[in-house]
Amino acid sequence: MNFEWSEDDARFREELRAFLDAELPPDWEELSRHGPGSDVQAAFSRGFCAKLARRGWLTQSWPREYGGADATPWRHAILSEEMWRRGEPRGSQYMNVNWIGPAIMKFGSEAQKRTHLGRISKGDVLWCQGFSEPEAGSDLAALRTQAVRSGDDYVVTGSKIWTSYVNGAEFCFLLVRTDPASKRHKGITVLLAPMDAKGIEVREIPSVVGERYFHELFFSEARIPADCRLGPEGEGWDVVGYALAYERVGAMRYARAALMLDAIAAHAAARGLAGDPAVQEKLGAARATVEAARLLSYRVIDLRARGSAPTADTNVARVAGTLCENAVSDLALELFGPGALEYGHPGDAYFRLAMTAGVAVGTTEINLNLIASRMLELPRE
Amino acid sequence: MDFEFSDDQRAILDAAEALLAQHAGPARAAEKGAAGEYDYELHAALASAGFSEVALGPGTGFLEATLLCRAVARAGGSVAYGAGALVAPAVAGRALPGPVALARADDAAPIRFGADAKTLLLDAGDEARVVRLEPGAAARVRTNFLWPMGRVAVAPGASTSLGPGSGARMRRWWRVALAAELVGCMESALAITLDYVKRRRQFGRAIGSFQAVQHRLALATVMLEGSRWLTYEAAALGAPDESAALAAAHASDAAQLVFRETHQLTGAMGYTREHPLHVFSMRLAALRHEMGGLAAQRREVARARWALA
Repeated sequence: MNFEWSEDDARFREELRAFLDAELPPDWEELSRHGPGSDVQAAFSRGFCAKLARRGWLTQSWPREYGGADATPWRHAILSEEMWRRGEPRGSQYMNVNWIGPAIMKFGSEAQKRTHLGRISKGDVLWCQGFSEPEAGSDLAALRTQAVRSGDDYVVTGSKIWTSYVNGAEFCFLLVRTDPASKRHKGITVLLAPMDAKGIEVREIPSVVGERYFHELFFSEARIPADCRLGPEGEGWDVVGYALAYERVGAMRYARAALMLDAIAAHAAARGLAGDPAVQEKLGAARATVEAARLLSYRVIDLRARGSAPTADTNVARVAGTLCENAVSDLALELFGPGALEYGHPGDAYFRLAMTAGVAVGTTEINLNLIASRMLELPRE
Repeated sequence: MDFEFSDDQRAILDAAEALLAQHAGPARAAEKGAAGEYDYELHAALASAGFSEVALGPGTGFLEATLLCRAVARAGGSVAYGAGALVAPAVAGRALPGPVALARADDAAPIRFGADAKTLLLDAGDEARVVRLEPGAAARVRTNFLWPMGRVAVAPGASTSLGPGSGARMRRWWRVALAAELVGCMESALAITLDYVKRRRQFGRAIGSFQAVQHRLALATVMLEGSRWLTYEAAALGAPDESAALAAAHASDAAQLVFRETHQLTGAMGYTREHPLHVFSMRLAALRHEMGGLAAQRREVARARWALA
């Protein structure tokens, strides 16, 4: 048992911080408050990820044969921490590296690996995720978007909702039902769908979260080539389970919360509140949730580094991360004061970033269900 | 980074757990706790097996002592393991005659193990002070909180200083020991409750199959797991100010939740002395108020992290 970074890892973090200081423009902090889904951040991510890729850092934890450097998952965790800390300059491309790439590595054909892993590891492709539907949110297995085989294509009809990062996305990691008679987890298939296929329409759903955060995707007999199918037909649920385990602990969101909490504490001190026991208590409580989230995420990385299959530790870490973001975002409004109500204020930006934590990537309730069944072995009925 | 026990740590823990299975356990704790008695037999068994000296032992250290502190608490040990085998060696650099009790110099309230301690370790602000207790220096205090407790009268001038700065060192390791005991008690309280909700049937089904019950136990697990890793990290890093306070704060927070939920979900049965929950839940309730309690632990985090004071 050891809780210290190796010298190599510590050096990597220093190099990464120096790189970020040099590469992020002077107005980055302000720019990053638009949110990772915004047009400005999507555009910025292209050049930035290409630079990260040239340094060999973007996909360093991938195997060498797929454009990585066989680095440990710890390296990737450090990268993720430093990126989230600074407002995620990779934009949506963190998804590509965290779970879309790994899913393609595990389930993809040789051709798919060549095409997609190459582009992802060069940092020049944007993806979005087509999971939720109007009638299939937490109950993802209720999804109904149909894909009917027709010659060399699947003809896709239906709709997806709450999709982020659609602007500029070239591909969608799309869940469809290929067997219309199937129920629940059977008969679901994953398509790596090109977004320029005819019959796909996008509508932005304005929200209080931020710019271009939510979209609806409409598929009207969109023809998706059959060789875009990831894994066998009808066995997409296994792919989803694998991908979600990587998605839930991938974005090290507590790192942003930690930085924000430091800023909140500094602001409180500047307002003369340093000696207020109630303020001290609230800050101390929030800090504990941040550090618990960090260690529980590390536990997942540790298991990954050992090559063990995903466990409910992932769900524990995710719930802890949500507790942390809730605690810090509450304080962001409370201690920054009414100034934080102005759009673009650091408190406002963090509040918007954090407010979806309990819903995004699977709700807290679903995570608690999985902890109850898989870790605590509580009975279903 | 490495979140698994080493083979040596595993071996020490296995040996300790085997000993605890024989000399501790909730039934014995309930009996000792009801009488307010210190478990001298367990104390002697731990000492003669060498477990009281792991903090300063060759090849072992404070992390191993912390792991054992959690194991003793989880087994319901009615002994001052954390005070004697973790805090005392960390502050004095050597073992002190046990049992050891910990107290704040400015507080005359009853303390855990006060009636049985041979050595009192006092947090006197900048320095820690050692008091050799003579028989009759303490009065046993009746308590419903399952720890043996006593009120100690210290004669003025009877204590020896452990030097400048030793007070802070004492508080840091006291927090780690406290967190480890909280974690151990929470683990047992939750395990007992899980077992209960899997067996207990109402409305024709196990109550553990209701989502309302599952979510509460899952959330308590999240808080417990966070407390466990914060405690291990604090111990492994040598109890840095912030880390030690984080472990104590989060574990005290979790303990409040675990107390409420385990009693709520075990119903009337959980309050009885026939059911083992009360040993751990009542001990948790007492522990989470030690050292000023949750609020004080949180303020200490703020002081250590941002120098807020």
